[in-house]
Amino acid sequence: MIEVKNLCKEYHVVKKEEGIKGALKGLVKRESHKIAAVSNINFNIKEGEIVGFIGPNGAGKSTTIKMMSGILTPTSGEVFIDGKDITKHRKEVVRNIGVVFGQRTQLNWDLRLGETFELLRHIYQVDKEQYLKTLDTMDEILGVKELLDKPVRQMSLGQRVKGDLVAAMIHSPKVLFLDEPTIGLDVSSKYALRKFIKEINERRGTTIILTTHDLGDIQELCDRIIIINNGSIMEDGNLSGIVDRIAPYKTLIIQYFDEKIPEVEGAELIETDGNVAKYRFMKSETTAAKLIEELSAKKPIQDIAVEETGIEEIIRIAYS
Amino acid sequence: MSSKKTSNKFIKNFKDKLNVYLYVYKIQIIRSMAYKFDVYGNIIMQTIIMIATAYFWKALFNSADSMGGVTVDTMLTYTVVSSMVSVLLTTNVEWRITESIKKGTIAIDMMRPVNIFKVFFAENLGAITALIFQNLLPIFIIGSLIIKVPVPNNLQDGLLFIISLILAFLINWYLAVIFGMWGFKVIEMSALIQVKKHLLRLLSGSIIPIWFFPNWLRGILECLPFMYIYQMPISIYVGQYTSDSLRKGLMVQLMWVVILFVTKNYLEKRVTKSVMIQGG
Repeated sequence: MIEVKNLCKEYHVVKKEEGIKGALKGLVKRESHKIAAVSNINFNIKEGEIVGFIGPNGAGKSTTIKMMSGILTPTSGEVFIDGKDITKHRKEVVRNIGVVFGQRTQLNWDLRLGETFELLRHIYQVDKEQYLKTLDTMDEILGVKELLDKPVRQMSLGQRVKGDLVAAMIHSPKVLFLDEPTIGLDVSSKYALRKFIKEINERRGTTIILTTHDLGDIQELCDRIIIINNGSIMEDGNLSGIVDRIAPYKTLIIQYFDEKIPEVEGAELIETDGNVAKYRFMKSETTAAKLIEELSAKKPIQDIAVEETGIEEIIRIAYS
Repeated sequence: MSSKKTSNKFIKNFKDKLNVYLYVYKIQIIRSMAYKFDVYGNIIMQTIIMIATAYFWKALFNSADSMGGVTVDTMLTYTVVSSMVSVLLTTNVEWRITESIKKGTIAIDMMRPVNIFKVFFAENLGAITALIFQNLLPIFIIGSLIIKVPVPNNLQDGLLFIISLILAFLINWYLAVIFGMWGFKVIEMSALIQVKKHLLRLLSGSIIPIWFFPNWLRGILECLPFMYIYQMPISIYVGQYTSDSLRKGLMVQLMWVVILFVTKNYLEKRVTKSVMIQGG
């Protein structure tokens, strides 16, 4: 569905110097230098996949999405959507694309929500019948019909994001890009959004690409994640695969009755705190049960917990 | 048979596309009606300029019936018509571009299967259509009551005026777009837009017709597109033309339309490639 080949984007950035002196100097002479926001990114995305892009702020996620959706022209490299080059056939290809930006809206502040939808219906040349059908489906998933007559400027963020989601779906795109869709949303709006993503993916087979900082989004939605940092791909695969690769270990936490902590073969004692000890062991080498058995033979055990490496931890490791 | 089919398809395609921009136009009219405060401000400003200019002419013509073949009546009509024309020649495309670039909403414009410059054009026409009721009509009424009812000498002048005004409109719009394209490079240009606006009004003969300017300045201004925006159509309206100057004037207008159109198309391709999106 989506093919990204050697994608690069460079920006010219004007060098600003400090203070008033620097500002004055900037009026006369400006030095600009190039920075690579995205350098040489490659991946393919199959139809019906939900792919999460994660990475720290300024990593190049949004730039990549903007190039994939035809908004920015790449410095070099190619993006094919459904077999067509987006830079060469922009107008044609964007008909198959829907985009939602969590931080800005494509809804019109001066209009009622329904009027923006009508405008989009005309822009994408969707016939009335098809439009009403889509609206019905969207209403089932999100409950959006009650908002149609409401002026956009009076909407809450949650309502606005709902509106934006429906707006992006009016032309029934094959690919939906979501750039930080859950940013600033409350729990119930977040839930509605995740439900929406799952449902349109299941019902319509829409391919979904989202960037997010919300790890819950990733755990709940994404079949596959791509971790981007400094403009390059650090990891690409399914979540458990990445977890296994980055952190192929678990942590066993044992509380003893006193502070004499025994060691055990096959696990490393990484931390002790009073009568509590943390052991790290490789998932491929041994199991928690075996370790517990050996340790309990050495000393009586009060309490036990096994810790998977959390996704936060994974991301922290991947970013650094 | 097949050629007929393809031509039918072509016509349908064209209609669909036109439909898109017609709808953008319609929506813009609705949107423009939302800003009432802006509208009153503009009426007041236009009225002040109009009345001040009218009294200036009255004072100037106090001792003479005509100056260089121009009568005070001609100048009063010129003044009122100029104010009305200025409403029809309102451009918001420069603001539209700078604001979208500054806020990063240009991303939204760029992701749709439309030509953004055609969208800007449709939006501009929509805004002007709203202004016809909000500004043009009030200015016409105020001008007619206080200064003079601006009627042309004859029907022919009126029709020729419309043709020239359409060409003037296009020159004005293309200039605004080309100027506005700077907004893709220079992020903050509100001041530049103001400078351009006032310079244009001065150099285009919208307040003082170029025929009162010294010869050397007139020579320069005749080589620039500005006087073909205001002075040309308005002087037709007030009957200040010869068949010779008319033919030459319309040709030059047409020439400017073509030159600016080609320039705009050339820049359009370059500019859309270098778009920067502000803020993530």
